[in-house]
Amino acid sequence: MRSKLLGLAGLLIVVSMILGACQPAAVPTPETIIQTVIVEGTPQVQIITATPAPVVAPEEMKAITINMGPGDIPTIDPSLGTDTSSIQVATETFVGLTRQDEVTNLVEPGMATEWSSVVNDDGTETITFKLRNDISWVNYNGTTVEQVMNCDGAPRIVNANDFYYGIIRTLQPATASQYAYVLGMSMAGAGDFNSGVTDDPTTVGAKVIDDFTIALTFVEQAAYNPAIAGMWIAYAEPSWLIDGDDCTEARGEKWTETGFFQGYGPYTLKEWVHDSTLTLIKNPFWPGTTNIPQPKIEEITWTMLDASPAMAEYEAGNLDTVAVPLADMDRVKADPVLSAEYVVAPNFCTYYYGFNTSAPVVDDVRVRRALSQAIDRQSLIDNVLKGGQEPAQWFSRPGLAGAPTMADHPDLGVKYDLEAAKAELQSYLDEKGKTAAELDITLMFNTSEGHRKIAEAIQQMWKDGLGLDVKLVNQEWAVYLDTIKGAATPQIYRLGWCLDYPDANNFIRENFGPNGSANPFTNGKPSGGVFYNNETFFAGLLEAAREQDPVKRVDLYAALEQTLVYDDAVIAPIYWYTRNTLTKPYLTRTFSTGGHEHIEKWDIDMAAKP
Amino acid sequence: MGRYLIRRILYMLVVILVVSFITFSLMHAVPGGPFDKEKKLPAEIIANLEKRYHLDQPLWKQYLSYLNDVFVPQFASEGPKGLVVDDDFLINIKITNSFWIRWMNFGPTFTSRSRSVNDIFRQNLPISVQLGLMALMIAIVIGVPLGIISALKQNTVWDYLGMSVAIFGVSVPVIVLGPLMIWIFGVTLKWLPPTGWGSKPPYFLGVFPTNLSWDYWRTAIMPSVALGLGSSAILARLTRASLLQVIREDYIRTARAKGVKERMVITRHALKNSLIPVVTILGPMMAGLVTGTFVTELTFGIPGMGKYFVTSITNRDYPVIMGTILLYAVFLVIANLLVDIMYAYLDPRIRYD
Repeated sequence: MRSKLLGLAGLLIVVSMILGACQPAAVPTPETIIQTVIVEGTPQVQIITATPAPVVAPEEMKAITINMGPGDIPTIDPSLGTDTSSIQVATETFVGLTRQDEVTNLVEPGMATEWSSVVNDDGTETITFKLRNDISWVNYNGTTVEQVMNCDGAPRIVNANDFYYGIIRTLQPATASQYAYVLGMSMAGAGDFNSGVTDDPTTVGAKVIDDFTIALTFVEQAAYNPAIAGMWIAYAEPSWLIDGDDCTEARGEKWTETGFFQGYGPYTLKEWVHDSTLTLIKNPFWPGTTNIPQPKIEEITWTMLDASPAMAEYEAGNLDTVAVPLADMDRVKADPVLSAEYVVAPNFCTYYYGFNTSAPVVDDVRVRRALSQAIDRQSLIDNVLKGGQEPAQWFSRPGLAGAPTMADHPDLGVKYDLEAAKAELQSYLDEKGKTAAELDITLMFNTSEGHRKIAEAIQQMWKDGLGLDVKLVNQEWAVYLDTIKGAATPQIYRLGWCLDYPDANNFIRENFGPNGSANPFTNGKPSGGVFYNNETFFAGLLEAAREQDPVKRVDLYAALEQTLVYDDAVIAPIYWYTRNTLTKPYLTRTFSTGGHEHIEKWDIDMAAKP
Repeated sequence: MGRYLIRRILYMLVVILVVSFITFSLMHAVPGGPFDKEKKLPAEIIANLEKRYHLDQPLWKQYLSYLNDVFVPQFASEGPKGLVVDDDFLINIKITNSFWIRWMNFGPTFTSRSRSVNDIFRQNLPISVQLGLMALMIAIVIGVPLGIISALKQNTVWDYLGMSVAIFGVSVPVIVLGPLMIWIFGVTLKWLPPTGWGSKPPYFLGVFPTNLSWDYWRTAIMPSVALGLGSSAILARLTRASLLQVIREDYIRTARAKGVKERMVITRHALKNSLIPVVTILGPMMAGLVTGTFVTELTFGIPGMGKYFVTSITNRDYPVIMGTILLYAVFLVIANLLVDIMYAYLDPRIRYD
């Protein structure tokens, strides 16, 4: 009996494999596909008649494969996106009121063709956006991309109500959108609605004037308001699909799944195999505008591979562009073929060490300045990072609106200057009557091989240059984030910041302003992070945000940066990020500085493709 | 046997409940939460998120409602609508149009906003099971014969060769072997695809691929060999040691003295008894392999379960932590039960009543 049972189990496995093997491979003729729809909660069998599109030989179709990095894309719902990969997909499948050029980060027309601004008596700013009236919602039906029809059988055209719905949905407390706070901070009434102070959406500063005009009111006049209006959290969204209407079944949180998804950008969703691949297909109904052309590449497939397997796939010819893993950097630079395909492009992020300015030893600005000046950033980049990063002299990444650049401010901020560092530290030591070896300093970072290498190199620089023995401590990521936001913040800690919208305000004010991301406040007092409280600096941040003259604005930010990294030395900026990519020679592309590619501008030279 | 099984299954339920309690307590005791980010979120945003996922309720309430969702069958007046990821039960049985029995809701995941833990079980687990079963087969097919040959030809060149292979298998981990194989067979020779897995939903019986083409096997070869080799080495060494011991037992000498043919002595008497330790380890080995292996899946870009065991903890994705740990626990207790049943078959002295 027992042996029979075992035999039966074995037989079942074998039979099931054979059964599976007996099924014919897909043939390119009309066929009936039995599909198990898992999104419904329970497997249900649906009969779908699918007629494959006229067969274009795959080798003739322009298609690219790119790697997104390991792990499933968290979401492609514009209201919910927080990370680069989620926003990348939303960027290609939707278009905001405004859109940023991916290289220069200048604000350009998106769905709005023009906008005008009025400053109201109460200091708020109302911007009225005029929308295009020729963009329809589309859906991939399993074979082709088709227009979405309304209950009267006419195509649904993207209009002001869809944008209004998108903005309000982002702000609904029940949506639990993380980036809702950006709208909450900047749009009139949005914060109160989002935090549930009121449940009346009409208190939010968004008004539909007519079908193709929408007016948004911002809490203060600021140069970056049009950029915020173009962020993914303010995209148009299909209310009929999410909540349902007379002729559409509601899909709720599942509306972004394969088959259901509707968008209107240059591409739309073809298939999302969770944890494996996500494929976008060209939206033929996107008419092409001056800055958002019709795509030349028909299909984009993102894989979700770790860095090293992705590199192997690139070398095997299965990926068209890839990020170079650190371990392969030396080999890529030495290889004649790969080095020709290697490009270093800027990336709008800053890596820095923050000082807890209320902690012993580093509560003295001379010590902080000495530590910052003793870091040989160029040597760190050449010997440890190896990715062509730029030594950071201040916090706001050059290239952001309002941020100083190395060309016009070569000597701004903090630089490697060992003699000055020694003098600063000596002055502190003389006053306290101590020796450098007696100082007790701890540097903390989150557990990661990369952060450890950087910390060890800098630890050695401080040891060799200043004679300081700095202890290294690391913590697991979530624990670490807890630590550096409270009273237990170590004397020195590492952190990075990447842009949400391309303005210096997003960097310096949102981090080091009162209750900024790296400067939490409780009851009006610093309670974590850098523990920085400088009224003049805070007032300067506000003044710079409101300044309309771009040149004056840069000067204001330059002075603020000087205060932050030198006069008060609250942080030690370390490097500005770059992206190290390999791109096959047949692919013509742009290199996004904000992290989200505009693939509708890319092209493949099919003649040159092997 | 029947009474024994019922008793064992009741014990299993207790074990699972204890595991769920320990896991729940530990994951909430660790500092940090699911919504801690490099960018500090305002308190109102955190409040919205905690409300959305019911994390604003007291812990005992969260635990009890989790137990209720997962273990207690629910009676519902309508079937699954699939509008929110919280309302996703693994088992939905329709009695009448307005009476449904729904069971096992493992909750939403915090990291994937449009997926539930059950979606991960439906979409990722089958791939890990396929890979794990293939690796297990490779481990048995290579490991057991290797161990037998080494034992029977003890201290000959075959023994040394077999054990060298085993030591190689144990000491070269997938993290080394995987990229090496990718480099040789995927990139340089281009015989096999470097990464990926050749099947996607829907699955036959919820587990097996429905489209078993050559392409499917091509993607499976490298990862299952890389994963199976390490386990095969463990099996080989274990089989060898056990067989060597059994061959010296009195009853083997008795069998030989009675004039039983040497082949019969080995296959009928020695081998069967020597497999007891091998079977003992096969249980946990299988549970480990089929629930997903982090390194192998990451190295070969396979969309399996393995990474959720690791990332759920770093992300503090509570429902996924609970789901993966419970899944592993269930596999483990079932595998151990099967092992115990196998004992009775292999060793006539063991009987369960």
